[in-house]
Amino acid sequence: MIRFARTAVAAAAACLVMTACTGPANMEPPQVDVPTPLPEGIEFAPEASPSDPDTSCDPLASYSPGSVTAEQARATLDNPDQISIGISQSTNLMGYRDPETNTLAGFDIDIATAMVQAIMGDATKVRWVPMTSGEREPALAEDRVDMVVRTMSITCERWQNVEFSTEYYHAGQRLLVSRDSEIAGLAEMTSDQLVCTGASSTSVGNIVKVNPEVQPVTVPDFNDCLVLLQQGTVDAVAIDDTILAGMAVQDPTLEVVGEAFSVESYGIAFQKGNTDLARFVNGALAAMIADGRWQAAYDEWLAEPLAMDAAPLTTKYRD
Amino acid sequence: MAVQSPPAPTQAPPAGGPAALPAAGAPPGPRIDRVAAALRQTPGQLRGVLAVLAALILGAGITGMTSILAKSAVIEETTGQSGRLSVAALQLYQALSQADATAASSYLTGGTPSEEMNEAYRTAMRDATVALATAAGEVTASADVELVARLNARLPVYTGLVETARTFNRLGEPVGATYQEQASTLMREEMLPSAHTLQENALAQLTESRDDASAFPYAAAALAVAALATLVWAQMWLSRKTNRTFNLGLVGATVLLVVFAGWLAMASFASASHTGRSHEEGSRPLELLAQAEIAAQQARAEESLLLIARGEDPKAAERYAEHMSELADEGGLLDQLDAAFSGDAGLSADIDAARDAATAWSNGHGEVVKLAQDGAYTEAVALAVGEDEASLQTSFNALNEALTAATATSADRFAEATVDAQRSLSGAAAGLAALSLAALISAAVGIQMRVAEYYA
Repeated sequence: MIRFARTAVAAAAACLVMTACTGPANMEPPQVDVPTPLPEGIEFAPEASPSDPDTSCDPLASYSPGSVTAEQARATLDNPDQISIGISQSTNLMGYRDPETNTLAGFDIDIATAMVQAIMGDATKVRWVPMTSGEREPALAEDRVDMVVRTMSITCERWQNVEFSTEYYHAGQRLLVSRDSEIAGLAEMTSDQLVCTGASSTSVGNIVKVNPEVQPVTVPDFNDCLVLLQQGTVDAVAIDDTILAGMAVQDPTLEVVGEAFSVESYGIAFQKGNTDLARFVNGALAAMIADGRWQAAYDEWLAEPLAMDAAPLTTKYRD
Repeated sequence: MAVQSPPAPTQAPPAGGPAALPAAGAPPGPRIDRVAAALRQTPGQLRGVLAVLAALILGAGITGMTSILAKSAVIEETTGQSGRLSVAALQLYQALSQADATAASSYLTGGTPSEEMNEAYRTAMRDATVALATAAGEVTASADVELVARLNARLPVYTGLVETARTFNRLGEPVGATYQEQASTLMREEMLPSAHTLQENALAQLTESRDDASAFPYAAAALAVAALATLVWAQMWLSRKTNRTFNLGLVGATVLLVVFAGWLAMASFASASHTGRSHEEGSRPLELLAQAEIAAQQARAEESLLLIARGEDPKAAERYAEHMSELADEGGLLDQLDAAFSGDAGLSADIDAARDAATAWSNGHGEVVKLAQDGAYTEAVALAVGEDEASLQTSFNALNEALTAATATSADRFAEATVDAQRSLSGAAAGLAALSLAALISAAVGIQMRVAEYYA
């Protein structure tokens, strides 16, 4: 009996030991993909159809300055002592926070400051309202700001909702590439190359129109294009030259190349119906262009990274 | 042994003896007949009773011992493999969230984050890598191995992005913000979900172990009861047959078996209650507290990202609101903690402090957003990550400290309850084995003496 008991105990102990070591170790190394950091919402095969120029109106024709005075312009503001201006504070060289001083700076900011000076007589009587590009039209419609100076292209569609000034910058899509990439322009890019742009249908359409071979990649925030280019995920960035300039100054191994292959005319936007403010600003813009302050702003921010003279501005009035 | 004077034989001694044993190779029929014949005689019947008793006592002893050993092994495991894995997975999840929150807020302080923030980031990274290494040593399931490998592959990519962001930030180049956002995206979209899955898998294993540990050993108990019943019956039967009230061997076996059954039941109930306590007072609040801490860290990261994007990232604002509501809304994690532990002196003070801090933070966040929308960006950043009393950094730190203190209390209780559960089982396996063996010997001796009388 005792021998039997001993055997049983030994058997029970063996059971325990065996259940303790569950199954043989898996010798296969786990399969793990190579981690490639990608921004949220990146699209590797965006829908693209060549875009046609908008000819339903003459977008560049704005209101002639006439005889509107600064006083009349101020009368259109909610607060006659402070004008509210929608800007970007994240678009390098155009409207951005200088990371060292934490103050607003850029080409758009210079233009806007000159307008504040002209309207208010004091460049500090302003409230800067940072906003995303999608907020520009709603902010005007909801009377949150008096005007918007934020890399905003004048289009017939937008004319339906806002008033525009005359063109204050003639931008266009160009190409940002690595200096040693030997890519000289969009037309030369091949079907195995990727070009990054913002997630708007027109910018992809412009690319496809010039080069149907190249693979467009879109990201919700175009700043991600620069990171993707630096990481080697894409071969080029094709956005407005103003934005490319802001990217090029951050990395000496990159350069802006090729001719502009689209036209983006930036205008200052006002609330629909506020033509007095638009007229007065058009006059102030014309004065700024005439006395060289506009050129000075261009030279300070954009001339060097774009490595070319500014495209001539079209100043056109509808009345 | 006074009671065991020679019996007055009521039946004739068995016929045959050794000579009656079947010859080798005899057909099976007659052998069964012989066994049946033997069982009609008292010594054969006594041997039969002993065989049944031996089987029942041994069965109860072995199943009792193994079930206790299995319980200790399982409790060992809750502090051992699956326990270590679930703790490591939780720490990993916490440390990664904390690293991301710290990296994002320190980006906001411009090119030169404070020594405190640098230290916090480095500590979180250390914790994350140590937890990952611990988890790597403990995982057994192939799905978990893959999760750990995925996390391991992504961690250096994450730190690379953070360092690139810092370098560009130091140089004053805004692209640093995009690198920081990309790092947070990698953390949020790929790493945190992996860490979360790993933690859930580990917790599922732990719960399974806990259920095993608190299960009652029914088989052993049933066998012990059957053995006892048989013993009692055998004694009644023997006393009828021999006209003697007690058979000391069988009485001894009965007492030993009663002790055996009592110990088995006591050890099982005690370990079940301690295991339950370790869950109720230890691991459940630990889980809730960890979830609260993680929600706070993620909300903090999103708040910083919103400011890094210069207020131009509506999705970050949405994600902040989501994490904050998970933490502080009605029915949120703080409410759940409150509901479960409001009467608990050790935890309620910390939970109240955490709620106050969360409220202060949430109110301050509205102020930060308002400042940023009004263009007072510098003031918004100062309020969010500044070092003064009113800044959100202060409320966030207070929230974290309260949660950490409550976590320490719960962790102590968990360890205590686990030790108690183990103590309640200590010696039980050996004791039960010894008792059942002694009961077996005692019963065998008692019956064998009776049998011997027939051959005297």
